[in-house]
Amino acid sequence: MKEVGYKFDVIVVGAGPAGSAAAYTLAKKGFKVLLVERGRVPGSKNVFGGRVYADPVGEVFDGLDGAPIHRWVTRERISLVSGGEMSSFEFRGSKRTSFTTYLTELAGWMARKVEEAGGVVLTEITVDGLVVEGGRVTGIRVGDERLTSDVVIDAEGINRLLLERAGLVPKLSVRHTGLGVKEVIKLQRDRLEDLFGLEGDEGMAWLMLGDVTDGLPGGAFLYTNRDSVSLGLVIALGDAVKEVGRHVSRYVEALRLHPLLRRYLRDGRIMEYSAHLVPEYTWPDLPHLLYTDGLLVAGDAAGLLLNLGYNFRGVDFAAYSGYLAARAVERAHEMGGMTSENLAIYRDLLEESFVLRQLRKFRRAPRMRENRRLYGAYPGLVNAIMDQLFNSPYETPKVMEALRRAREGRIGWLEMVRDLLEMVRSV
Amino acid sequence: MLRIVVGIKWVPNTTSVNIDPKTGTLIREGIPSVVNPHDLEAVEMALRLRDEYGGRVTAITMSPPSARAGLEHVLGMGVDDAVLVSDRAFAGADTLATSYVLAKVIERLGYDLIVFGQETIDSSTAHVGAQVASWLDIPYVYYVTHARLEGGRLIVRRSLENVRETYELELPALISVAMHTLHPRRVRLSHKLRAKLESPIETWTNRELGLEPDCIGLKGSPTALSKIEMIPKVPRKNEIFRGDPREAAKWLVDKLIEEGLLEV
Ligand SMILES: Cc1cc2nc3c(=O)[nH]c(=O)nc-3n(C[C@H](O)[C@H](O)[C@H](O)COP(=O)(O)OP(=O)(O)OC[C@H]3O[C@@H](n4cnc5c(N)ncnc54)[C@H](O)[C@@H]3O)c2cc1C
Ligand SMILES: Cc1cc2nc3c(=O)[nH]c(=O)nc-3n(C[C@H](O)[C@H](O)[C@H](O)COP(=O)(O)OP(=O)(O)OC[C@H]3O[C@@H](n4cnc5c(N)ncnc54)[C@H](O)[C@@H]3O)c2cc1C
Repeated sequence: MKEVGYKFDVIVVGAGPAGSAAAYTLAKKGFKVLLVERGRVPGSKNVFGGRVYADPVGEVFDGLDGAPIHRWVTRERISLVSGGEMSSFEFRGSKRTSFTTYLTELAGWMARKVEEAGGVVLTEITVDGLVVEGGRVTGIRVGDERLTSDVVIDAEGINRLLLERAGLVPKLSVRHTGLGVKEVIKLQRDRLEDLFGLEGDEGMAWLMLGDVTDGLPGGAFLYTNRDSVSLGLVIALGDAVKEVGRHVSRYVEALRLHPLLRRYLRDGRIMEYSAHLVPEYTWPDLPHLLYTDGLLVAGDAAGLLLNLGYNFRGVDFAAYSGYLAARAVERAHEMGGMTSENLAIYRDLLEESFVLRQLRKFRRAPRMRENRRLYGAYPGLVNAIMDQLFNSPYETPKVMEALRRAREGRIGWLEMVRDLLEMVRSV
Repeated sequence: MLRIVVGIKWVPNTTSVNIDPKTGTLIREGIPSVVNPHDLEAVEMALRLRDEYGGRVTAITMSPPSARAGLEHVLGMGVDDAVLVSDRAFAGADTLATSYVLAKVIERLGYDLIVFGQETIDSSTAHVGAQVASWLDIPYVYYVTHARLEGGRLIVRRSLENVRETYELELPALISVAMHTLHPRRVRLSHKLRAKLESPIETWTNRELGLEPDCIGLKGSPTALSKIEMIPKVPRKNEIFRGDPREAAKWLVDKLIEEGLLEV
């Protein structure tokens, strides 16, 4: 292997939110930072639904000036779908807490911040391996070349091949992953605003459970961007992998053509189709690695992402963990080197932050989401109740009566109580 | 030392270029650009010659400043240095004005060999190589698949449909590389780093070049594009038969007979 004649204090692998946050923070502090990305431009390999919580990202990047904010999510809609029926709950808030965006644009913005802070960003370079010498990570390998640094921050995303290749983590199993598929559909801006009842830069996040995933564990989402919607679904692979009978692209297609959705999308033009893995089980259920000698792991690669089923916190968690990894490097530098003992501060920083506090709090959520009744029986139950309440011209039942009738043949009382308890404990 | 200049064009990344039906001009907005793929093959040939015989490869492009990313790409492949030729004064150039500027740039750089791509994916005139050779008054061979040096001469081969021609060229000369003949190499970490850290890209405007305003840009472009017509899409019936494959086959055959496309 040829040693490349440049040296960096820090090499960051992956220009996603985690990698750019780490690189930005360190470059700003005067470290010599290299950020390496395999995509043609930062963000070209990223896929996501699309909403981002503003504050954590703003905190990490010193504000959101110039960030590609499409719409502020002021409307949250959750729908339970069964057959051609759907019950929805909608919250219309007044705060501006999260925004919709294209991750491609957001990642581009983040990488520009890295360059402005003095970091070097290299695209079109795929890191083939970590260089490990005497149990210590000393750099990266690209083809037949190697580049040395004091520390490597691995922010390669969910499919953490570099860590697997270095024997630092076990192979990712399908049990632990979900599959996300997404289309971006372009609509006329005013048409989109009319359809979803939005004004100015208001946006909507719409989550659907039930028939939209063919009863498989998972959910469908629709986010309104400036003049397009991101429409997609996430299916937990786990046990379901055997039942995924169709090519995944067919699932989004079925979603787009769904009788309840196609009315919104009829005039739309499909701009983009993409698919990506999503971690289902995350920290602390997985044997994840956060640090070792000469290495820190941030973002999806470390499983630091919160998937509540009704909400997805990936981008801000990733960015924040990258930021904390950077602070750990700073501290380890003061303490005299990038040893495992010095870098252990990363774990403490994570523990103190919302990242691990939240992940711990919601650690039961993944298991809960495996409950198939959430995707079949319950949407059916709720719609059957609504149907009785509103479609009984002569004999309107009382709510409990409607529930009893709707329940028959669907689900037992005991099961229901158990599910309810589990739900309360999990989320 | 062999001084090789290679020309690359920064083009919209699409094979189906959108044309504004009203103005007849290319819609470039929103489409990310790339190095014209056939020019990467020219770069590959230039690099192979340099690797074999020594020398220096300089990439040039006449483009808006965003083409810097394209130059960084070919520097990543191993090109030694690059010149971005960029000035509003060059805008609106036809192939004549383009080739004039490129010829002047190459003259200023000094050269033994110039390597171009066969054609571009966005205009596909294949004019520029021939025109640059004419400006410089040097030999030109188009559609080259192989090149090697022998006794100070360049031996090039071109493969036509059923003949293979070999030429011996006095240097300096210009060749255009036949597309789909060479596989461009991957970018290397060290090269890419050098491109970022040692800024081997120079930008030349018309201040450096001092070319006659009448010979460049719109003014220096005598070509008049009289008309652009969109070729209408052939209407398709889009009939889909679902069901048993046997029945589908029968249905299809019947359809083809019905349409007079199949005779029995
Ligand atoms: C369908 C879907 C919907 C989602 N919806 C949301 C949402 O609404 N809100 C939200 O906050 N999150 C969402 N997420 C999750 C979010 O996208 C991720 O959590 C987030 O992008 C993780 O950031 P990261 O930096 O850790 O990894 P990534 O964004 O995956 O970035 C990793 C980067 O590393 C690069 N890379 C990988 N390997 C190498 C290598 N060997 N060499 C060089 N570069 C490499 C990749 O090209 C990539 O750019 C969604 C995800 C999916 C799949
Ligand atoms: C009337 C008219 C007006 C035009 N106005 C504009 C305009 O406003 N803006 C605009 O962008 N284009 C304009 N063009 C197109 C422009 O002239 C051509 O794109 C350009 O001259 C190259 O021609 P080509 O793409 O057919 O290249 P080809 O002749 O097919 O290219 C052959 C090879 O020459 C080399 N080469 C070609 N172009 C360059 C370059 N720019 N730098 C370095 N090497 C190169 C490459 O190696 C390439 O493979 C206009 C064309 C006409 C006819």
